[in-house]
Amino acid sequence: MELDEFRTSLDAWLDEQEGALAPDHDGLGTLDEQMAQLTKVKRLTFDAGWMRWGWPVRVGGLGGTTLPRAYLGEALTSRDLVEPGIYSMAEVLAPTMIDFAAPELAATMVPRLLRGDETWCQGFSEPGTGSNLASLSCRAVRSHGGWRVTGQKVWTSLAQYSERCVLLTRTGSVESAHRGITALFVDMDSPGITVRPIESMHGVEEFCEVFFDDVAVPFDRTLGEEGQGWSVAMDLLPYERSTSLWHRAAYLHRRLQQLLDAAPPDTLDAAEVGQTTQLLYAFRARSRSTQHRLARGEDLGPETSIDKVLLATIEQAVFDLVGDGLASDLAIGDGTTSERWRTEFLYSRAATIYGGSAEIQRNIIARRLLDLGSDR
Amino acid sequence: MIDAAARELFERGIGHAFDQPTSEAVDAALGELGWHDALAADQRAAVSALFRRQGEVSATSSALDWLLASSLGADGAVVLPALGRWDPPGEVYGPRLRVNGLSRQSIGDRVVVVASARDKDIAFDVPAADLLLRPVHGVDPQLELLEITGETVDVDGQPLIGWEAALALGQLAVGHELVGASRAMLELARAHALERVQFGRPIATFQAIRHRLADSLVAIEAAEAVLDAAWLDRSPQTAAMAKAMSGRSARIAARHCQQVLAGIGFTTEHALHRYVRRVLVLDLLLGSSKALTRKLGSEVVASRQLPPLLPL
Ligand SMILES: Cc1cc2nc3c(=O)[nH]c(=O)nc-3n(C[C@H](O)[C@H](O)[C@H](O)COP(=O)(O)OP(=O)(O)OC[C@H]3O[C@@H](n4cnc5c(N)ncnc54)[C@H](O)[C@@H]3O)c2cc1C
Repeated sequence: MELDEFRTSLDAWLDEQEGALAPDHDGLGTLDEQMAQLTKVKRLTFDAGWMRWGWPVRVGGLGGTTLPRAYLGEALTSRDLVEPGIYSMAEVLAPTMIDFAAPELAATMVPRLLRGDETWCQGFSEPGTGSNLASLSCRAVRSHGGWRVTGQKVWTSLAQYSERCVLLTRTGSVESAHRGITALFVDMDSPGITVRPIESMHGVEEFCEVFFDDVAVPFDRTLGEEGQGWSVAMDLLPYERSTSLWHRAAYLHRRLQQLLDAAPPDTLDAAEVGQTTQLLYAFRARSRSTQHRLARGEDLGPETSIDKVLLATIEQAVFDLVGDGLASDLAIGDGTTSERWRTEFLYSRAATIYGGSAEIQRNIIARRLLDLGSDR
Repeated sequence: MIDAAARELFERGIGHAFDQPTSEAVDAALGELGWHDALAADQRAAVSALFRRQGEVSATSSALDWLLASSLGADGAVVLPALGRWDPPGEVYGPRLRVNGLSRQSIGDRVVVVASARDKDIAFDVPAADLLLRPVHGVDPQLELLEITGETVDVDGQPLIGWEAALALGQLAVGHELVGASRAMLELARAHALERVQFGRPIATFQAIRHRLADSLVAIEAAEAVLDAAWLDRSPQTAAMAKAMSGRSARIAARHCQQVLAGIGFTTEHALHRYVRRVLVLDLLLGSSKALTRKLGSEVVASRQLPPLLPL
């Protein structure tokens, strides 16, 4: 389906289904409520076909370019029907499954994620491994009939809700660095997995510690080949910095507009509002061209680090303005509206941390886009 | 739309034109190349290619005057707004026309001054000799600017529409020039960082250097993205945003690149200073990043309305 046609018919459908799609909770809702809402919206949009456009037919999609995916997420976030971070997990994890999982596995699993039947998580970070992903140590060893996994992951978003995990493990020696990593697709109900939610600064148990104690994972759950885990991660990261960011821009636009509606007179500095408006526009323009490149079938790579730096900058700029315009709601307000602004303000502080920190993005830009060579 | 082959030929011609030693020779070469025809055939391709290149090599030409004249349908050099401003350079007081603007030193005997009067704009054809002309040396003498001020009486004016569109086009042109200059500065600093050795290693290995250059690239790409968007939506508001973003990113790039080039970049032996000078003036031309940004912010705060979103 062409984008214009998709847009018009989706908008009409969203208007028509407003009642059925609306959240049952007020304001931001708890994470449980957000997850329930996400499941509902995914199921309705999948069953009506919208969620299937832009995904390959072999994983239950209806084919076509990826633009409808970008527009669907934009439409759902700008109507406040889903929280963009949890909604976009599918955009981060499904494309890599399609690229690296055995075809039958992808065909079985991806539709479940898209339809909201399942939640998946991304097990990359460990207590000793954040930015330096190549140093990870969660071990997988070959044994009879499969891998045995032992180790720990941390800050794994939504692990407590997840049926599956895209897990990076060490299968080579510690010195093998990025060459000795293997990606696995793990069932979270496997014996030996313990999930412990962690309360984050914004008052939500969004992420978890995940412990693996001799967990059995069949060989056919290997993504790519043994030792190819680094390529899997490098394939995934540009997805994390593309369509999901387009959705986030729609969300930031909505919040900035809501701030303008709510801020008392004389609390916003004109120059800062002007600059934030321009930056948001610039980010959307940049992200738009990334979406069109993706839709043309181009491979995304290190240039998506520019998108990520811009997004993190603009997200914090928008919420810095919230900090000016709604200062007292943020600091001492207790109603659901204040609660929501506060939670989102605090969450915006993480924009320069997750998905590769602001410094790591600049390292990538220097090395890969400016060709400055090694930093040693 | 002109095709890829024609565009390549055109871009090569532009490159050649800007190799000429003087601005008169550049103008002549651009005329021969048929820049006006290219403008009519594909405005975006012609403007972006020409001004980007002009910025990259820090050249001087009359292209901006021609662009405004062609957009306004004027015959002769159109006086630009005074530095830092974007409203028409003329003001009408009864029979008097007061002028405060800029032009290039190569103007002829007559100039076109646009003035805003109540609800409409008027174009006046004025003998240059009636006005005060001050050749500008300033921070960037190579720009060969002319400050035009003064008053004249009893001149004939023609009603005119299209200042807003001409201004938007001019802002995009200067925006591309700023981006070209920024990319050139970044390339100078990048090459230097790879070559210059301190503490036994190239300074390009120092993260402080790498991050300054990365930040310059991010700023440039952001500006370029808004320029692209402005060509798509053709709204004067987006053109103003593009101009503001290009000016700000050029200032960011100038600051970082100057720091990376350090001592050598502070000499006139090195090319950097030409760009630093140029960027200071270009940021002010047709509205500075600061002023345009503040204006946008005031409008957004007063109307409580963001500019419409660029659709996917
Ligand atoms: C809200 C949130 C959700 C998350 N969700 C997930 C998830 O679902 N799955 C998952 O695997 N992880 C997740 N993470 C973890 C995230 O990926 C890491 O926090 C991130 O990669 C940074 O690692 P770190 O926290 O260990 O910081 P460190 O790597 O220890 O970095 C600390 C500081 O040092 C800087 N630094 C590190 N190395 C360099 C360098 N080479 N050059 C310059 N500066 C450097 C960093 O930029 C940072 O400022 C999440 C994090 C947050 C905050």
